[in-house]
Amino acid sequence: MTVDLAHYLTVSGLLFGVGISIALAKRNAIAVLMGIELMLNAVNLSFLSFSRFSGAFAIKDNPLDGHVFVVFVLTVAAAEAAVALALSVLIYRRRETVDLDRINLLRW
Amino acid sequence: MIERLPLPAPLAALLRRAFFPEGSFRLPLPAQLDRVIIYGGLVAGAVVTPILLVLIVLLVLNVLTAPELVFWLASAVIIGGALGSVLLKNIVHAALSLVMTLLGVAAIFLLLGSEFLALVQVLVYGGGVTVLLLFGLMLTNATDDPIVSDGAQKPFAFLVGIALAGILSVALVDQIWGAPTASTVAFRELGARLYRDFGLPFEIASLVLVIALIGAIAIARRDRPEDTEDTAMGDGA
Amino acid sequence: MSELNFEYGLLLPEFILVGAAAAVLMLDAFREDLRISRNLLPAITVLGALIAGVASLLFLDRDPTDFAQLIAVDDYTTFFRILFIATLIAIVLGSYEFVNRNITHQGEFYALLLASTIGAIYMAAARELLTAYISIELLSFSLYVGVSLAKTDTRSGEAGLKYVLLGGVASAMLLYGLSIIYGTTGATTYDGIAAALEDGVVGTPAFLLGLAFLVGGLGFKASAVPFHMWTPDAYEGAPLPITAYISATSKAATFALMLALFGIALDAAKADWQWMLASLAVATMVVGNLIAIQQSNIKRLLAYSSIGQVGFMLMAITTVSDASGSALLLHLAGYLITNLAVFIAVIAFYNRTGSEEIEDFRGLAETQPYLALVITTALFSLSGMPLLAGFVTKFVLFQAAAEEGFLWLATVAVIMSTVSLYYYLKVIRQMYVAEPADGDSRWRLSPIAYLTTGVLFLGIFLVGLWATPIFEAADGASAMLFG
Repeated sequence: MTVDLAHYLTVSGLLFGVGISIALAKRNAIAVLMGIELMLNAVNLSFLSFSRFSGAFAIKDNPLDGHVFVVFVLTVAAAEAAVALALSVLIYRRRETVDLDRINLLRW
Repeated sequence: MIERLPLPAPLAALLRRAFFPEGSFRLPLPAQLDRVIIYGGLVAGAVVTPILLVLIVLLVLNVLTAPELVFWLASAVIIGGALGSVLLKNIVHAALSLVMTLLGVAAIFLLLGSEFLALVQVLVYGGGVTVLLLFGLMLTNATDDPIVSDGAQKPFAFLVGIALAGILSVALVDQIWGAPTASTVAFRELGARLYRDFGLPFEIASLVLVIALIGAIAIARRDRPEDTEDTAMGDGA
Repeated sequence: MSELNFEYGLLLPEFILVGAAAAVLMLDAFREDLRISRNLLPAITVLGALIAGVASLLFLDRDPTDFAQLIAVDDYTTFFRILFIATLIAIVLGSYEFVNRNITHQGEFYALLLASTIGAIYMAAARELLTAYISIELLSFSLYVGVSLAKTDTRSGEAGLKYVLLGGVASAMLLYGLSIIYGTTGATTYDGIAAALEDGVVGTPAFLLGLAFLVGGLGFKASAVPFHMWTPDAYEGAPLPITAYISATSKAATFALMLALFGIALDAAKADWQWMLASLAVATMVVGNLIAIQQSNIKRLLAYSSIGQVGFMLMAITTVSDASGSALLLHLAGYLITNLAVFIAVIAFYNRTGSEEIEDFRGLAETQPYLALVITTALFSLSGMPLLAGFVTKFVLFQAAAEEGFLWLATVAVIMSTVSLYYYLKVIRQMYVAEPADGDSRWRLSPIAYLTTGVLFLGIFLVGLWATPIFEAADGASAMLFG
């Protein structure tokens, strides 16, 4: 049994599914962030696999584009973690919790 | 430290002699993390070893090639780690389980012929983002009260997750895809593509980072002295 | 691959904006040492924006060209450059008093506005998926931070956290969609995707899935139902100028991006996505306008009303064509002017009273008749009353949709416009019918508030009565996509 694109994409799809269930199920802000990181990893995985298996492309534009995309996704993921954590710290300092159900000054 | 673990005495002695022959060595970490790392290691080992054994047998029997072995092992680690971070109630454990997934993804990147991105994945995700997450957990006192309950919408969330994973796998596998392109991606080519052809998005990304940086500072900085003990805000608007 | 064009001069207006942002940040850092007035920061912001606006006029009516196949520099880009820079100027002028009182990090505030304007411009100008994505993130990050900048208000940080987490999920969905589209077509440039679609990837399950993720992610950014959960919270928690900014620039930029993406890249796959967008449009119009009726906070009311407006704009994307493209651009321009007029008037009101409740608008016609007149006119324009901007732009928009065979969609839109009149009238009734609270006497606006609201007020009438110039500009810009 050879490992081809479908296998990689299955792993990516499973990872995305797990990521989105974390993001939706957990009530701790940082746990939600972990779910988002998993989803972004799934995205990276699928970008790289598409890039690697670019033989199927209708037009052979440039197989490196997937790689470049991954670099940017990594950057944005790190920046997002920084902003979300700064906000968690701010809220924790005021309310002693980062539980999204108890952060309820606003109606969710 | 090993004495504090509830292990059979001979096993504890064996572990101590194996890891800390000097007698009184401690990792420079909170005691809680010691236990997490040792238990986590044991559990991960117990899970991964049988898989590894089966795969090695298959390799020896020529059913699998070496890259395929790496793929199956890495996939097992990725999915196992991801499931760990969903199912573990203790959020610090969940975060450490996430690290497994991230490193597994790096292994797959290597298989996909991108050495550079595998390296970056280990450095940025395995190192940077994980440390950031753990810092966040410590700063918000997750170490004292690490049990995170799931919200009421948990069944719905799992349903969405399973449905999405299923749909994605089916739809993507159904497509007819082509053969892999040739060898490893050269650093030089990737660099040229990234910094020359995609120079403009690169500059925009640098702006994104600047915004995130000054934003994080402006948000997390204490402006008012009362911010420190200002916890008596009402619980509803 | 053909030779790429690396003429950095094409990006001049954005360089000026970045320069202004850097200057603002630096001056803010050394403000106490240099003993400069805090009014210098908004002054530099406005000045930089003005210069950038003049610089973008240089590109008017030139031959369409592109930067490294990533960014198009043509009349479409110029149209949005001018629109977004004008919005920036209006918001800075309309809110500097508010900022002086309520925002501790002023340098960061103005730098964020400048940077997010760049993101918005590149969202409109992008002709390649990666550039489009990273520009979306630039705008989003600025808004995540901006929403949480009102540090004296506890709601602000909460809104920011919810916004950043939901935004992260939406970004991941959008990216997954982009990756599948990249995987099925093999291209990231809009032209490349269009060419690949001609070869027939259309309709495969994988491609449909990619489109669904893409529509979901973009729908979140545009706050279309059912991806709108963040909107009311972010609107209520954010400082007022940022609320205005989200409702104006962020919306318009998302639609500029969608128009280019669906119009150029995905046009051949129309059958695959038209039903998705049509159902989003209907849900958004109905839900947004119906929930708006029950709101008691002016920010939340405007949030839901803007969700309703998003439904009308989605309709134009659904029926994407040359006519609906130019109608959308016209509508965006009219909507921006009207919406800014409402928000700047509300900011002026807040500066005086410190209240955001609709109830506290009672008797405004007695205490500040001019402000009441501006708010009334703008709200009537939003609901589409004749003589005002909203009527003309909505008329053109609905007509374009009906001509493309979406008469039912246009009918729903007309009905929902009428519904929207009801909740706008609630605000107007408070101002004109209810008696002012005891002890309220007449009060005066600052000259700059008079100036900005006055210009926008005239703008509403100008677009309503004599829309030809702006319609021609929109037509020329949209011809760049469909010509």
